[in-house]
Amino acid sequence: MSKFLLEAKELRKTYHLGRVKVPVLRGASFTLEQGEWVAILGSSGSGKSTLLHLLGLLDECDVDSGGVWFDGKPVADLKFSARNAYRNQSVGFVFQFYHLLPELSVLENALLPNMVNAGMNWFSKRAQAQQHATELLDAFGLSHRLTHRPAELSGGERQRVAIARALANQPRVLLADEPTGNLDTKTGGEILDLIAAKHRKGLSIAMVTHDPAVAARADRVVKLVDGCVAQ
Amino acid sequence: MYPVQLANRYLTSRIIPLIAVAAVALCVALVVIVVSVMSGFLDMLRASGRTLMGDVVISYPIRGIPWYEQLIDTIEKLPEAQAATPLIDTYGLVRMPYPDGSEKEVVTANVWGIEPQSFNRVTDFSKALYWKPPASPEAAASMSPDDLRLKLSDKILNDGLNLVKSDTGEPGLVLGMHVSIANERMRNGSYRPRYPQWFMPKQSVTLTLVPISAKGTIAEPRERVFPVVNEFKSGVYQIDKNRVMISLDEAQKLLRMDAGTLYDMQAPPNADGSLPVLGTSPAKVSKILVRAKPGVTPDQLQTAVFAAYEKFAYDVAADPSKVIKAPRVDSMNILTWEQHLRDLIAPVEKEREMMRILFSIVYLVCAGLVLSIFWAIVQEKTRDVGILRSVGASRFGILWIFLQYGLVIGAIGGLCGVGLGWLVIHNINFIHETIGQDAPAWSYIASFIIAAISFAMSVRGMTTGVVLSTLLWSVLGFTLALVGVGLMLHRGTLIWDPSVYYFATIPDQVDWFTAIITWCGAVIFSVLGASIPAAKAADIHPVRALRYE
Ligand SMILES: Nc1ncnc2c1ncn2[C@@H]1O[C@H](COP(=O)(O)OP(=O)(O)O)[C@@H](O)[C@H]1O
Ligand SMILES: [Mg+2]
Repeated sequence: MSKFLLEAKELRKTYHLGRVKVPVLRGASFTLEQGEWVAILGSSGSGKSTLLHLLGLLDECDVDSGGVWFDGKPVADLKFSARNAYRNQSVGFVFQFYHLLPELSVLENALLPNMVNAGMNWFSKRAQAQQHATELLDAFGLSHRLTHRPAELSGGERQRVAIARALANQPRVLLADEPTGNLDTKTGGEILDLIAAKHRKGLSIAMVTHDPAVAARADRVVKLVDGCVAQ
Repeated sequence: MYPVQLANRYLTSRIIPLIAVAAVALCVALVVIVVSVMSGFLDMLRASGRTLMGDVVISYPIRGIPWYEQLIDTIEKLPEAQAATPLIDTYGLVRMPYPDGSEKEVVTANVWGIEPQSFNRVTDFSKALYWKPPASPEAAASMSPDDLRLKLSDKILNDGLNLVKSDTGEPGLVLGMHVSIANERMRNGSYRPRYPQWFMPKQSVTLTLVPISAKGTIAEPRERVFPVVNEFKSGVYQIDKNRVMISLDEAQKLLRMDAGTLYDMQAPPNADGSLPVLGTSPAKVSKILVRAKPGVTPDQLQTAVFAAYEKFAYDVAADPSKVIKAPRVDSMNILTWEQHLRDLIAPVEKEREMMRILFSIVYLVCAGLVLSIFWAIVQEKTRDVGILRSVGASRFGILWIFLQYGLVIGAIGGLCGVGLGWLVIHNINFIHETIGQDAPAWSYIASFIIAAISFAMSVRGMTTGVVLSTLLWSVLGFTLALVGVGLMLHRGTLIWDPSVYYFATIPDQVDWFTAIITWCGAVIFSVLGASIPAAKAADIHPVRALRYE
């Protein structure tokens, strides 16, 4: 049993743009311990998002080499449905650009992972999930916004909804890709406060950023340079 | 459960599904209308062929069929045959009672000599006779109050059915509805004389027939004045324009096809100078119409009649009292009505082939349209698919969302389309009549007024700086102004010209089989159009879908 909750070993990944090969990751390794908050710092285009997507199984493109282990097990071995379950329950993903469903209300967006998880049993699980989501949104200061559409919210509010969605199924890891990259410093700071509060309650976090000031909030900072992680 | 809820959300939270429903509805309505009218037209042709000719026609035109009574007896004994009737089919001239003065108008006509009672059994002649009192109080109620038929008694119908003027006992004549120029077609499809004194059943016409000898030479024409006793409307314009009917006896007399004594030309004359008698020369007819029993197809009847004729010819040949023998079966034309009306039907069949090809194209275009509408709508949702996949939704879950989306829109749109098609087809003759008139003044005045209001609204939009309302109001204004000009210039045109399409009215029955098929097609193409791009989006990696612009 590995001591790491999430681990990436020697990841190599190359994008092929026609004939041109763009090597993005050249043997990047990364570890996240249970309850740890690690910031991955790197300049724009250094491959931070690529790494995080591979950790969250959002990019199923075969890597050239290396792999990702979650809780000591290689995620590459997961079957289709297990991969869906991994995205649904094991990790929660927060994007720079929020990515909320425009047709759903704030509450429904926050409940989406619960709905996907519940399947046909949604009606019996609904009340409990709704209570959890409402409490979460309440804590994020969105109690008066539950029925609003994402388009009616500010950027900071949208990102809070996105975090609430990522935490809906109480995942063990939060993967955040520049969660404050699109926000002003003050709003970004508030978002980081929320994340920090969850971290204090035991949430493990891998956060990508290009801003050293943001990275400073984490327990540990690793740098991504030339497709490799420098401790 | 989430696929159902998301599909529901996508269906109810935007205007696009409504536009898609409208598009599907229009496509379905288009197909239903076109196919229904065309197949209704073919059905009408089929039905009218039968009511006009029976199912099988035996013909031997110039010399005529001798001993036809015996042939009819033989045929009517067939289990396949319901009734048979003798007929003379020839051409003649009809001198009309108009115009005033000595120079009267003469028209050529297809003259049918019929035996009214048996003819009615084979062809529903009584239904075709136009001048008769309404059959029921309901029928009377549906007529306009000034309809002439409301004042008529059964006498005129019976005169027509018997081809006799009962007042004088004279043999009468029945005209096709459009043979004379006297009848004016009303908007509701009924007729009235253009002038009261032009009521044809009160007039007489002179009919001239030209007998043709067995050698094919023309004999002295014979003419006779006939009182018109009624008029008939078959619904097939070509026939109503050309055909007149007289009784078989009169036709035989005028054409010298009646019974007579047969003299022996070769033998030396008798002592008193007369020629020795060989026997009787039987009366002849040019055609025999046969109607099939219900459930018997024209083809089956044709085979039976063929056999019956062979037996008849054999019987006549074996009968020494009959000097004139029946023509051999292979020199007879024994045809189903469809074969007999080849000339009329062949172009329609060609047209139907053409239509089939056109329908396929229309169908494909509509299918492509529906497909691309959904494609565009769902393609735009690729990012949503990426989001759903990133929170763990399965590929099939995503497929299921959009499958339902297409299913609901396709089903509802298809239903609306069938409804719209039904509405149009049901009122198609009214719509056609309306287009056939000049537009009433209020219609273009109204559209000009609304156009003016729209322009005012667009000016208001311009001053307040609202682009969309300026755009929409000006589009509406221009459209209505154009519609107004169009209405003002519109002169009634009848698209459905009865002289081209045989029938005086457009078929107004929905072809339900086609409607159901089209509805299914709408559902299938909607579902396909929605689920293919959804499946495509679900299959790519979530990040790629998220990056989709
Ligand atoms: N789908 C893709 N196809 C081709 N190249 C890509 C793709 N995604 C990312 N890249 C390239 O990989 C490099 C790293 O991208 P990314 O991981 O998004 O960087 P970061 O998040 O650090 O800014 C960039 O140069 C980008 O152009
Ligand atoms: Mg990035």
